[in-house]
Amino acid sequence: MIVLEYLLLFFLVMSAIMAVIFDEELISIIFLSIFSIILTAIYLIYRAADVALAEAVIGAGLNTAIFMSAISQIRKGKS
Amino acid sequence: MKQKLQHIIVIIILTISGAAVFFNLKVMTIYKDIPGGISRYIISFGLQDTGSLNLVTAILYDYRAFDSMGESTVIFGAVSGIVLILSRKMLPVSSKGLSFIVKRTLGIMTPFIALFSIYVITHGHLTPGGGFQGGVILAAISIIFSIVYGSAFDYKRYSPQMKTVMETTGALMFISIGVLGVFFEGFFLDNLNFLGGKPGTLLSAGSIPIINLGIGLKVGAGLAIIFYSMIQKTFREEL
Amino acid sequence: MLNNFIFVFLFMLGLYAVIMKTNLIKMVIGLNIMEAAVFLWVIAFADVGKDVPIYHLGRVGENFNDPVPQALTLTGIVIGASTSALLLTLIIELNKFTDTIDRNKLKGLND
Repeated sequence: MIVLEYLLLFFLVMSAIMAVIFDEELISIIFLSIFSIILTAIYLIYRAADVALAEAVIGAGLNTAIFMSAISQIRKGKS
Repeated sequence: MKQKLQHIIVIIILTISGAAVFFNLKVMTIYKDIPGGISRYIISFGLQDTGSLNLVTAILYDYRAFDSMGESTVIFGAVSGIVLILSRKMLPVSSKGLSFIVKRTLGIMTPFIALFSIYVITHGHLTPGGGFQGGVILAAISIIFSIVYGSAFDYKRYSPQMKTVMETTGALMFISIGVLGVFFEGFFLDNLNFLGGKPGTLLSAGSIPIINLGIGLKVGAGLAIIFYSMIQKTFREEL
Repeated sequence: MLNNFIFVFLFMLGLYAVIMKTNLIKMVIGLNIMEAAVFLWVIAFADVGKDVPIYHLGRVGENFNDPVPQALTLTGIVIGASTSALLLTLIIELNKFTDTIDRNKLKGLND
């Protein structure tokens, strides 16, 4: 259980670093979605059931959809 | 060169302030065995006072129900701002969706998603869940209709006027339970304990299931309106 | 010990993205990372290793985790999503007027 916790925390920090470094916006949004999913698993390890359900639905579902629909309106001519 | 110098100065300042915060956090005492105070009272007497098995739901909708009302107001403010800025002409737009396989698959799956969301909302006091989580799953159904079947389908099924009616119904349900609390018990948003059976069944815990339904409708309709307003202008250049 | 270090690192990373990046969408992503770091620290600080705070048949109430920080975090997550939606709406409108999402090219809007 301790090995799983340390492994997930390491992947959390790596995906946050990747979300900030790149220049293109689409890659950053995909890494933000991966960050939310790993955060849900970490909330379950810390015994918080309601917070994990809320983070899974809002962070990985709604936030990513809103970001993607905002990106598609910025480039002219493509949708 | 000015760019690199700016980078280095910012990184040095952030590192120093990060170290300061870290040493400040190290001095805090270890969170031993739930210190005396409000947590011990809620764990010991939560089941007797409210009748709900889920303690987080009991905090959010009975002890601190006023904060949930403030949060619904924040969502309402965000929805009002977005609709004011983005939608000048409410045209029903394209009916271009995704391919045939995706349409058929989601046509089978959508009733089960709706059933799951109603389960999460109404069983908020027995299992993990509640009003906020179930409401966002309801908004996800509207998002699926907009993306997979095209926005004209979504406009025909749930027009934005109907979504507005759902949102205001949820808010009025919440506030009327609060006003009934003034009549029956003497305080705003107090728990109407005569509405329940024994704890563990579905119809227990007083006024908590009704508040859950109100909040679920309001959050779900609000977030669906946000997504529908944001994608409307994309397809306008294609028609 | 490890939780404090990860919280400080993620918070400063988000703050770096808000200060130094010139793309407007990167600033919103940095704001999201800062908020997620605060919620992670609140839940990790209040975890003493006991059970999920829900009564089942035959569970004693002395073995529960603390339910108060979890209720506060739930409110925070929803408000963070609403703030991001409003900020992205303003960015879309700004792009229609000036054709750019770069922070340095926005000066002098009424030339």
